[in-house]
Amino acid sequence: MLVQNFPFFSIVLAMFSGILSSVLNGKQARNVSLGVIGSTIIMSAAVFFWCLGNGESYTYMMGHFPAPWGNEIRAGVLEGLTALLFSVIMLLSVLGGMRHTFEDVEPSKVNLFFIMIDLMLSSLLALIYTNDLFTAYVFVEINTIAGCGLIMIRQKGRSFSAAIRYMIMSQLGSGLFLIGLTLLYDVTGHLLMSPAKETVASIEAAGRYEIPMLVILAVISVGLAIKSGLYPFHSWIPYTYGYATPTASAILSGLVSKGYIFLLMKIFYRVLGQENVIASRMVNVLFLFGLAGMIMGSVHAILEEDTRRMIAYSSVAQIGYIYMGIGLGTESGMVAAVFHMFTHSATKALLFISAVGLYEVSGEKKDFRSLRGAGYRNRLAGVGFTVGALSMVGFPMLSGFISKLLFATSALQSPHKMMLTLIGLAVSTVLNAIYFLRLVITLYGRAEQVAVKGKQRCSFVFGGAIVCFILLNLFLGLMSQPVVRAITEGLEMFD
Amino acid sequence: MKGNMILLLPVVLPVLMGAIALGGKGFRGNRPLLLGVVFTGLAGGLLSTLLAVTGEAKLRLWQLTESVEIGFQLDGVGRFFAVLTVVVWFLAGLYSVTYMTHEEDESRFFGFYLIVLGVLIGLDFSGNLITFYVFYEMMTLTSLPLVLHERSKEAVSAGLKYLFYSVAGAFLALFGIFFFTAVLGDLTFVPGGVAEAASFRGKEGVLLTAVFCMVVGFGAKAGMFPLHGWLPTAHPVAPAPASAVLSGVITKSGVLALIRVVFFIVGPEQIRGTWVQQAWIFLSLLTVFMGSMLAYKEPVMKKRLAYSTVSQVSYILFGLSLLEPTAFVGALSHVVFHSLVKNALFLTAGAVIFQTGWRKVEQMRGLGRVMPVTLGCYTAASLSLVGIPPASGFISKWYLAQGALSSGCGAWTWIGPVILLTSALLTAGYLLPLTINGFFPGGDFDGRELEERKLLGKEPSWQMLLPVLLLSAGAVIFGCFPGPLLRMLSEIAETVL
Amino acid sequence: MASHLLYNIEETVAMILFGIGFTMLLLHRNLIRKIMGMNIMDTAVYLFLAAKGYIKGRMVPIVTDGILDASAYMNPVPSGLVLTGIVVSVSTTALMLALTIRLYERYHSLDLDQILIQVKKEEGS
Repeated sequence: MLVQNFPFFSIVLAMFSGILSSVLNGKQARNVSLGVIGSTIIMSAAVFFWCLGNGESYTYMMGHFPAPWGNEIRAGVLEGLTALLFSVIMLLSVLGGMRHTFEDVEPSKVNLFFIMIDLMLSSLLALIYTNDLFTAYVFVEINTIAGCGLIMIRQKGRSFSAAIRYMIMSQLGSGLFLIGLTLLYDVTGHLLMSPAKETVASIEAAGRYEIPMLVILAVISVGLAIKSGLYPFHSWIPYTYGYATPTASAILSGLVSKGYIFLLMKIFYRVLGQENVIASRMVNVLFLFGLAGMIMGSVHAILEEDTRRMIAYSSVAQIGYIYMGIGLGTESGMVAAVFHMFTHSATKALLFISAVGLYEVSGEKKDFRSLRGAGYRNRLAGVGFTVGALSMVGFPMLSGFISKLLFATSALQSPHKMMLTLIGLAVSTVLNAIYFLRLVITLYGRAEQVAVKGKQRCSFVFGGAIVCFILLNLFLGLMSQPVVRAITEGLEMFD
Repeated sequence: MKGNMILLLPVVLPVLMGAIALGGKGFRGNRPLLLGVVFTGLAGGLLSTLLAVTGEAKLRLWQLTESVEIGFQLDGVGRFFAVLTVVVWFLAGLYSVTYMTHEEDESRFFGFYLIVLGVLIGLDFSGNLITFYVFYEMMTLTSLPLVLHERSKEAVSAGLKYLFYSVAGAFLALFGIFFFTAVLGDLTFVPGGVAEAASFRGKEGVLLTAVFCMVVGFGAKAGMFPLHGWLPTAHPVAPAPASAVLSGVITKSGVLALIRVVFFIVGPEQIRGTWVQQAWIFLSLLTVFMGSMLAYKEPVMKKRLAYSTVSQVSYILFGLSLLEPTAFVGALSHVVFHSLVKNALFLTAGAVIFQTGWRKVEQMRGLGRVMPVTLGCYTAASLSLVGIPPASGFISKWYLAQGALSSGCGAWTWIGPVILLTSALLTAGYLLPLTINGFFPGGDFDGRELEERKLLGKEPSWQMLLPVLLLSAGAVIFGCFPGPLLRMLSEIAETVL
Repeated sequence: MASHLLYNIEETVAMILFGIGFTMLLLHRNLIRKIMGMNIMDTAVYLFLAAKGYIKGRMVPIVTDGILDASAYMNPVPSGLVLTGIVVSVSTTALMLALTIRLYERYHSLDLDQILIQVKKEEGS
C-alpha cells in the first residue's frame, strides 16, 4: 500500500527539506517548511485513518535486513494520531509566531531557523514512528540539537545561557537513556522493540536478571524524565521556554517534551512490557514525582511575575499530570496521560502564541501586570489566552476538563492511589486557577497608564492560527470520545 | 441531537443576542440599536422559556465521553427555576435601561447580562449532573464580568474573590461528581435519587464525604458558611441590576445544585440521620444567624443587603437540609419570595445611588421626601422579607418552622425555629430603620439640604420604578394568594421525598 | 563478587567512567570540564558496547580470506553502534563548544554560575 510508505516518507521529506533549506533564503525556507509540515499533516492523517480502518498496526522494513537485524518503522493508530496532532500544532505554532520569528532572528539566519524546524519535525516523527531503540537515541540527539538551535537563534545573552543549560540537562538525560538501552542490548541482544520484548518476556518468565532489568527501567525512565522536564529535573524549563522566540517556546513546551514522553510510553509497552513496569516499583516513583510536579510547578508559577516564565512553570505542573497518569499503572491512567499530552500540547502552544500577541501591545515588558488591559488592545489574542488558561484550569467544554475527568475516573480504579490522586488534582487545579485566572483578569483590567502602542490589528495569519488553536481545544473538549477511543485502540495495538 | 429542539431556544437566543451586543462595534453611540438587541434577547428568552416549559421535553445534545452525555430534560424544579429566572431577569433588564446610563461600557454589561441568562436557563434545564456542572462553571465565568464591570482596583479584587470562592467550591463539588461518575456511571436526574443503597455498599464513608464536599462546594454559590465570604465583597461593587440578579438569582443556582445533588442523585434516604445532614443543618443555621448579625452591623446599604442574602439563602438551605416535605415546600417558596424581595431591595438601593449618590444607610434620612414611591416599595418588600403576615415571607417561614417541628431531627426541631425567629427579628432590625428614618426623619431633620440639591420628589424614571413596583407587589401578592404556588411545590415535594 | 567484577573488567571500568563523566557534567561549574565530562560519559558507553561486541578468539567481521561462516567473526552490530554514537557525540560536543565560545566572548568567563549571574545583571539593567 502507498499509505504504508508515508511514515518513512514524511521523516525523510522533513530531513531533506532541512538540507535543501540551507541553500535557500529565509522566505523560501519558510515556504519549504510550511509545505513540508502541511504534507506531513496529510500523510499522518492518511496513516491514522488507514490504521483505524484496518484495525491493525504494521511494521515497515528499512533497508534489506529483516526483523531481528535490520531497522524498522512501526505505525499504528496511536502513532498516526500523535503524528497528526503534533504536525498540526507545529504548523499553527510556526504560523502564529511567524512575524516574531522574522523580527527576532537575524535576516541572514532565518533559513537556519527553518532548518531547525524541519529537523525538529523530522526527529519528532522519527521518535513517534521508530521501532528501533538506537534509532530512537540518534533522533533524541537530533531533537536536542534542533531544540538547542531553536533556543539560541535569538542571539541574546539570555538565549545562550538558556541553550547551554538546556544542552547540559539534555545531555545528562540522553546519557542515561543511552546507557539504559546499551544495558538492555546487553541483556536481550536486540535493539528492535518487538524481538527485544520477546526476550524480556522470556527473561522475566525465567526470573533472571531481576536487578539489571530494574536498573534498565530506572535509568531509561529517569533519562527521559529529565529530558521531558519532570519535577525535580525541571530547573531548565523556565529559562528555555521563557526566553526563546515564541514559535520555539510553543514547539519546545508543546511538542518536544511530549515526544520524549511518547517514547517512554512506547518503551514501556513495546519493550519492557507494561505489566513488568507496573510490577516494579518504578511507576510509584513516577507517580510521586508527577504529583510533586503538579503541585510544585503551580506554586512556582504563582510566585512568578514574568508571564512567560509563569506559563513555563505551568508546563512543569502539566508534565507532572502526565507522569501521574503513567504512574497510576492502569490502562485508563495511560489513556488519560496520552490525552493530557494532546491537551497540553494544544493548549500550551496556544498560550505561548497568544501571550506574544498580548506582549506586543503592552510594550514587551516581562511583568504580568504590564498586560493590564491588553485583552482589549488585541482582542483575539486575549480570547485565545483566556481559552487556553481556562482549559488548563479545567473548565468544562474545553480539553483540560476532559483530561481531568479521565484522570479522576482512572484514579478511582486504583484504590491505593485514589485519594492521593484526587487530592493532588484538586489542589493543583485550585493553584492553576489562582495564577491563570489572575492573568486573565489582569488582561481585562483597566490599564493604569495609557496603552503603550495603542490598538494594533493582528495579522491575518496570527489570527487564523489562534482561531485554529481555539477550535482544536474545543474539538478535544467536546468531541473527546473518538479521540479517547482511538487512544485506547492505539494502546492495545502497542502490545 | 435528539429530542425537542425548542429547549435549545431559550438558551441559545439570549447567548446569541449577548454575543451580538458584545461583538458589534456599531453599538457605541447607537443606544437604541443596542437596546433593541438586548430586548430582543430578553423578550425572546422570556417567551421561549414560557413556550418551552409548557411541554414535556428531553433533548440529547452530544456525548462528551463514553458515559457522559450533555442533554436537557425538563422537570418541575427546572420549570420553576427557569420561569423565576427569566422573569426577574427581564425586570432587572428593564431597570438597567436607565441605570446603565451612568456607567461605562454598556454594551459589555448587556452582552454578558444576556449570556448569563442563557446559561442560567441551560442550568435549569440540565438533564444530568455533568451538563449541570458545565453550565454551572459557565455561569461563574460569564457572571464575572458583571462583578468586574467597573474595572477599578476594588472591583478587580472583588471579582478575584468571587472567582476563587466559586472555583474552589466548584472543584470541591467536582470531587463528588467524579465519585458518582465512577460509582453510578449514569448521572441523569431522577426524582428521589438514582442511587440505590446497594451501589454504595462498602463505600458509605466515601459517599458521605463526597456529599459533604458537594454541600460545602455548591454552598459557596449560595453563600453558605464557610464559603460565604465573596458575597458581601462582590455584590456591592457590581452595578445595581447586576448585584440584584447576583443576589436574587445566581445564589439560587447554588440552591438548585444542592436540590439536584441531594434529591435527584443521591436520594434523601442516603443521608437522612447521618453526620452530613447534621453538619448541613448546623452550617445553614449558623449562616442564617451570622448573616443577620453581620447585616445588622453593616452601614453600607448594598453590603447590608448582601449580608442579608447570606442569611436568607441559608433559610432555604435549612429547609432543604431537613429532608422533609413541608420544609421543602417552604424552602422552594422562599426561593421565589427572596428572589423577588432581594431584587426589589437591591434595585431600590441602586435607584438611591443613581438619584442621590447615597451609599450608606445613615445618609438616607429623609429619603421619603426624595422618592416616596420607591421607599414605599422598599418597605413593602422589607416587611415581606421579615415575614409579617400576610406578606409572602410569612408563608415560607411558616412552612419552614412547621417542617422543622415535624422533621424528627432531634434538638434541631426546636433550635431551628428559634433561630429563624431570632433572625427574623434581626431582619426587621436591619431593614426597617431605613423606612422609619426615611419617612419620619424626626424633628431635628433639616430638609433644606435636600431642597438645595433639588432632590425633593425626585422619583427615578418609569423604567426603574416599574420593575421595583412589580417585584415588591409580587412579593406581597404571592403572600396573599400563595395557593397555586404551594400546590405546585407540594407536587414537586411529593415526587422527590 | 570481586571476581565477577574482575572477570568483566571492561564493563566495570565503563561503568566507573560513566559515573565520573555523569558527575562531571552535572556538578562541575566550568563549561569546558562539563563538556569533557560529557565526552567521558559517552566514551564509557562506547567502551561498554565494544566490550559486548568483542568475542575472544574471533576475527574482525571483514571477509578477507573467504570464510563465510558467521561463527568465525565477532558481533559487528555494537561496532556499528559505536560509530553512530561517535558521530552523535561529536556533533553535540561541537555544538556545546560553539555555545561555550559565544558565551566566553560575551561574558569572559567559563564558569556557568558566573555567567548566569552576569546574565541576570544584564537583564536587570
